[in-house]
Amino acid sequence: MDQRERQWRQVLLAEVAAERRCLSRRGVLAGSLRVAAGAAATMSLAAVPGIRRLAAAQELQTDLDVLNYALTLEHLEYAFYRDGVGLFTFDADSRGMSIDDNLAAIRDHEGEHVSTLVKVIADLGGTPVEEARYDFGDAYDDPTAFLLTAGALENTGVSAYDGAARFITDPELLTAAGSIVAVEARHASYLNLLNGEVPFPSAFEMPKTPAEILEIAGPFIVSS
Amino acid sequence: MQDDMMLDTPVDVLNYALTLEHLEYAFYRDGLETFSAADFASAGYADNVYDWFGLIRDHEEEHVATITGVIVDLGGEPVAEARYDFGYSDLAGFVRIAQVLENTGVGAYQGAARYLIDEDALLTAALTIHGVEARHAAYLNGLRGQPPFPKAFNPTLTPSEVLAAAGRFIVNS
Repeated sequence: MDQRERQWRQVLLAEVAAERRCLSRRGVLAGSLRVAAGAAATMSLAAVPGIRRLAAAQELQTDLDVLNYALTLEHLEYAFYRDGVGLFTFDADSRGMSIDDNLAAIRDHEGEHVSTLVKVIADLGGTPVEEARYDFGDAYDDPTAFLLTAGALENTGVSAYDGAARFITDPELLTAAGSIVAVEARHASYLNLLNGEVPFPSAFEMPKTPAEILEIAGPFIVSS
Repeated sequence: MQDDMMLDTPVDVLNYALTLEHLEYAFYRDGLETFSAADFASAGYADNVYDWFGLIRDHEEEHVATITGVIVDLGGEPVAEARYDFGYSDLAGFVRIAQVLENTGVGAYQGAARYLIDEDALLTAALTIHGVEARHAAYLNGLRGQPPFPKAFNPTLTPSEVLAAAGRFIVNS
């Protein structure tokens, strides 16, 4: 990674941190910074192979494209929990349920999403994307950052599926995608609660285009 | 309420969704007139629970208004609110029915989405409601001491299944 790319990465990690603050309502990101960071994502990160996959997802032409786009995000989520769940020990939540158990359940769900998507893509004759290498910034440094990052990932996941569903042509796949995005929304609701946020901040989810998802998730992907 | 065979047009699907949203909104509107913040507090719920029930009610109201508007825009006839009997007699019963309604709502939108597969904007709009119902459902599951996300894949409900689950609350339309 050269000097210039390092600088871009810093800008983008700041963007992700800002996204988290946005979600946690602890600050508002100026529109100009968002635009600047978006331009940075397009200009610099397309050089990283793992990012190219997400960048290519901006052209979701076929059901397989959509499935691999979803798989790219599920790999990222699963890796985040697989490597992070257990680093910290949490108390029970406000309902007396084990946060550790619930985080482990989320990890297992993402693992199931990965294995199911891999199988469906292979069954359809496609080539499933592989897990990449990731850098989650400070998420593993302290429990607060971990939960905030988890919340950001889940909320982003909902927006990604909602934005991609329109590209699906097979009704069975659409239903399957629906059954995944609902679970991401359930995760997001719970993590918002843990993060001291409203579990359902709006009457409508906010669909995001693949380009917008690239801005948010791209910086986590170091290489494929 | 519509059965499977009647979701032929986008307006049919939207009226199916509106039927459920009317039911949900009426449930919270009337329930939160019946039970006060003090009732929630004396039942042992945290301070914010009453407020968040109010927020869920507001969401359902927005869903009703939005879907009604879209149906009119499409030249359709929006279904009206029906009369309901939810059968609860105390706050615990109210919360239990809320959980049933939200979890049913998620499955219903999921099962109906396929009928909008050729309507990109309506499909996306429906999914943005679907996700919020899922957030409500997770919250209410947890409130009742049950897993917020019981499975890796949310169950899908056909219109017939939804009719069986929600139709019993409808007295007449």
